Amino acid sequence: MLLGAAQYIMKPMRRRHALITCFVIAWTLLFHYETLRANYLSPLAGRELPKLPLLFPPAGWIMFYRVDRSYGFAEVYGIRGDHAIKLDPHQTFQTKAVGYDNIRRNVLIEVLSRPYAESFCRYLRWKFPEYESFAVVYAEYPDVIASPTQILRQVAYRCR
Amino acid sequence: MNVRRAWHHAFLMRRPSLNLGLFRLAVAFTVGAHIIPSFFHLDENFLFTAFRTKNVSCYPLWILRLVDMSPDWVVQLWVVIFCVSLAMFTLGWHSQLSCIVMTTACYYFNALNNFQIGTLSFDILLVTLILMCITSYPGDFLSLDSLRHGWTRSYKRLRPYFIQRLLQLQVTWTFWYTALSKITAGGNWITGNPYYNLMHDPPIGVVRDFPFRQWLGQYPIFCHQLGLILLGFEFMIPLLWLLPTTRPLGIALGIAFQLMLWATLHVPTIFLFLFPPLMLLLIRPEALVRWIEARQTVNAKRGRAVLLYDGQCGFCLESIRRLRVLDLFGWVDPVDFHAQPDLAKLNPALTPERCRSEMVLLEPNGRLSGGFQAFARLTYRLPFLMWLAPFAHLPGADWVGTRIYRWVAAHRYLLHRNPACQTNHCAARDLN
Repeated sequence: MLLGAAQYIMKPMRRRHALITCFVIAWTLLFHYETLRANYLSPLAGRELPKLPLLFPPAGWIMFYRVDRSYGFAEVYGIRGDHAIKLDPHQTFQTKAVGYDNIRRNVLIEVLSRPYAESFCRYLRWKFPEYESFAVVYAEYPDVIASPTQILRQVAYRCR
Repeated sequence: MNVRRAWHHAFLMRRPSLNLGLFRLAVAFTVGAHIIPSFFHLDENFLFTAFRTKNVSCYPLWILRLVDMSPDWVVQLWVVIFCVSLAMFTLGWHSQLSCIVMTTACYYFNALNNFQIGTLSFDILLVTLILMCITSYPGDFLSLDSLRHGWTRSYKRLRPYFIQRLLQLQVTWTFWYTALSKITAGGNWITGNPYYNLMHDPPIGVVRDFPFRQWLGQYPIFCHQLGLILLGFEFMIPLLWLLPTTRPLGIALGIAFQLMLWATLHVPTIFLFLFPPLMLLLIRPEALVRWIEARQTVNAKRGRAVLLYDGQCGFCLESIRRLRVLDLFGWVDPVDFHAQPDLAKLNPALTPERCRSEMVLLEPNGRLSGGFQAFARLTYRLPFLMWLAPFAHLPGADWVGTRIYRWVAAHRYLLHRNPACQTNHCAARDLN
């Protein structure tokens, strides 16, 4: 009878242990696969390996992994008549994060991406109706050490 | 056999889940601090007028399209859903369900617009949230769930250890892989001098204006060595976590490392809010349980306070059951005044009439308080009620609290679950 009771208790416990074990193994494999996929496994396989949707960063845990002497960023100019006025990025996006500055994290650089041009132009027209048009500029310090004041600028796109 | 035993010890063994309860609060705070600021400017972040970017590497296109079709009222509804689920998760009310809903809301907002909230640290947060959603263990301790169920020993509720272990491994692997990417896969911390480059970041750049920044920027060789030392720390700190003897030092260094990161760089504060609590998960839960029980022993030796209550009132009994959950350090001993033959022996000022009309708190130093004042004293002493202490001592709180207390005390027989007293006859009989 005691043996029966022990078996009654042990069966669900064994099943639960099996479930936990499967989950731990699957999670661990996924974690390492997604961490190593972009920079290690894909070059090894010679092709882009598939990414698991909805979870894990696209290129693994790469925080400040490469910092060189050049620094690129975006500038936005509002145009009225013949005058181009540089817009304060903190006015362009007024969302304030807790304890850090998203603009300084260079979040604005994403607006340079061509697929976002139309959406960003629409946003600028809504945010700054006082301007006739806008110019989105890619700016770059070619060498922050050798020439810290030199900035190269190139218009990425215009918003009419 | 040894591998089996080691596996069992690492993931399957049932151990106290209180660390996860504490970690739940840290996660809730982190999620709130990261997402809520974006709600203050809904028009520039999520509504039709917003500038939105898409995380195409993370989400299938059909999800992005579906989310993008959200009219503004749906976005606003999700804001409400997020805030309610975050509050529920923080309080530990239906912890697992609230965690799932909150995580879904995080995914929704990230899919809707990746621009402000989509960072690498947010990916770490999502991974953490998924693990928190898997079980209900994070709601065992310091939660309304434990209060609701009356789990008086919730701090030593035993659960399989795998969630806490996976979170420990997550922070360990993240540290190592971050360091590894700095020296391989395009990382230039050995071949270049990134720390020196960072010291020369332009004014709009990611580096904060911390003391010594300009001075450091004059010494490239020193900066290179400093960069290598930081890299060494990233590799070494998780090694210190592995051994119980070096673990406290490893945790302290890890937290200092995160603080330094936040103090010098404009990195998302998720790093600061999430990583130190993740590291604190390396503390053995048994050590915390021992600490709590040591406090209980100290209180027992000093002599506990006595809370006299009406044991014939279901509402009071239910409240005492919850009080026992809140009294983590065993500071108070609830006593039914009906079972106390000589109340004056406890304190000459105590009478059955007084105990019938209100709960009475007798502290070890002889201080006597009743009704709302007794509740206000409890907020000083019971750790889970301490957050209420400032409110209970606000100007006017005593006046309002006393009136509310009086009303509840007079109608307590109506509030309880004993069908024999549902018409308040018991109250009328006792008070007459």
